[in-house]
Amino acid sequence: MTNPRARSHERILTMRGIGKRFRAVKALTDVDFWVDAGEVVALVGDNGAGKSTLVKVLSGVYAPDAGSVEFDGAAVDITSPVVAHDLGIATVFQDLALCDNLDVVANLWLGREIVDGSALNEVEMEQRTWALMRELSARLPSVREPVAMLSGGQRQTVAIARSLIGDPRVVILDEPTAALGVAQTAEVLNLIVRLRERGHGVVLISHNMADVMAVADRVFVLRLGRNNGVFDVADITSETLISAITGARSGPATTPPEPAENVVPLRAESDRAHRRGL
Amino acid sequence: MLDSLKRHGRLTQIELAGVTGLSPASVSNIVKELTAAGVLHTSFTSRSGRRATLVSLAHSVGLVAGVHFSSRQLNIAIADATRTVVTHTTLPLALDHRHDAELDRLALLLGDLTESLGGSLGDLHAVGLALPAPIDPRTHTVSTPGLLPGWEDIDIAQALTGRIARPVFVDSEANLGGLAEAREGSARDVSSAVYIRVGHTVSGGIVAGGDLFHGASGKAGQIGHITIDENGPVCRCSNRGCLETYVGGPALLSAFPPAEGMHRLSDLLLAADDGDAAAQRVIADAGRHLGVAAASVCNLFDPERIVIGGELAAAGEILMAPMRHALERSALTSPAGLPDIIGASFGDWAETRGAIALALEHVDVGADTVAASA
Repeated sequence: MTNPRARSHERILTMRGIGKRFRAVKALTDVDFWVDAGEVVALVGDNGAGKSTLVKVLSGVYAPDAGSVEFDGAAVDITSPVVAHDLGIATVFQDLALCDNLDVVANLWLGREIVDGSALNEVEMEQRTWALMRELSARLPSVREPVAMLSGGQRQTVAIARSLIGDPRVVILDEPTAALGVAQTAEVLNLIVRLRERGHGVVLISHNMADVMAVADRVFVLRLGRNNGVFDVADITSETLISAITGARSGPATTPPEPAENVVPLRAESDRAHRRGL
Repeated sequence: MLDSLKRHGRLTQIELAGVTGLSPASVSNIVKELTAAGVLHTSFTSRSGRRATLVSLAHSVGLVAGVHFSSRQLNIAIADATRTVVTHTTLPLALDHRHDAELDRLALLLGDLTESLGGSLGDLHAVGLALPAPIDPRTHTVSTPGLLPGWEDIDIAQALTGRIARPVFVDSEANLGGLAEAREGSARDVSSAVYIRVGHTVSGGIVAGGDLFHGASGKAGQIGHITIDENGPVCRCSNRGCLETYVGGPALLSAFPPAEGMHRLSDLLLAADDGDAAAQRVIADAGRHLGVAAASVCNLFDPERIVIGGELAAAGEILMAPMRHALERSALTSPAGLPDIIGASFGDWAETRGAIALALEHVDVGADTVAASA
């Protein structure tokens, strides 16, 4: 299931010029966005900046009014959540959508149960659940515990693990650390690092700058439905990010580079010089 | 005797006699007395085929916490008096982490961890804290401005004590990594060693006779800021051409074009492990630079062994073979040969274990428990 990654990370998903309007409200205007394999891309912005709309376009809930989407280099139309899922885009929404009364194994395999003739193959499902949990270094008391008994961080872990069944290329996490305590946040952040190591492209939507700066490689800032900069996390401070979110300054150009090209016009050079050697 | 146990963890009675210089009979008597008082715990084991009594500090003596803030990760481990880690956790950190937010989070995490053990913060006897900058032992502040911008100008030990009301002891990560390796790791059988930590930053710790050498203001061993090239790139310490500007994480990663997505040291290590020639070359070049700097350290300090720790140490021989070669070319030779260069035995947890060792050194085992059990 793990992809040994080559040095050059392949581009999985590219969105160009995405627009979406709800009657008179322009939710997204000319938004570019891209994700490579094995990187964590954070999507940040103020309330109403268009983060959720963009994610819903990605996961097939909304159809965009303008723009194009490429997946693995081929143009695709993500017309429904089923299409998104079949392409390999898995989304974990904020409400997690877990069944509280079912145990961890049942939640993971719900709708995709492994069957042995006409009966459920519980043993196989449980073994594969444990294997997945071990791979994610997740701390769970038991996989036969009803999900209602688990802590917030553990529930998030289960929801993320469930999204991994079927081995998606891109995993989208919508506010995974909102409403979690410090210890549980640590659990989820470690999990994101694991996902990255497994070679998934991870899209992280978060309001928490500390979390974004800790696990993301690249940050897309959305402001009032438009791109307001793409930053390499190694080159910036949280202040730069916050000023881009609030509009105090706009970021560098945001045209997606071709993956084969070696030049990316995205570096905030002044910050980079300032932080060199760190 | 308690001091030797704090230093070595578990010892047999015979070893205790050897370490303390007391006669085996008096050791046996003291152990009997302290066991009855609940300070020590004994169990039976065998050494070279003979039955022996293994002595360790009793679990009831309490817990200590070791905390390691590296440039990009927080490691926390809680251990009992025998240095057995009972629980641990990690948290990825932003590059520009700051003392106020991070110490707040740390206080909460320590509370959660002790609670998960069925106790409370009060059960911690001491906390050892490792930070990625030299620490002035007199003031517990960062010794050199620029090396850890978010943590400057505060008494870090006091800032954490103020939050958790437990005694806190602070030192640099390289010193504490060195302490762990010297006490119970790769350098336990030599009398002098240098621990070099290569990761996002490059630093070192000097251990002589099992104890750290701090220098006047805690800056001893900062190998990352040895000048390699007078006209080299400007370093964050505001000098030029420091070793770190050639070997530190950002320097290594910036050797790759941005489109290749080489964002973290783990990417570089993975690529090198997959046999990627460019990644291996970059790490080998780092090893060569390290070897040149290590030669200066050897000429000045003449250690018996050099232990390599930090994130990049995971590259193993890809890093260390070129380093040995460069050391051989540049250091003064002697009939006894040059110090051997080996990897840290605790990997990413060396600094945390050193922080535990530092905390245990300051635990006042005897007085407390004897008084309580009397």
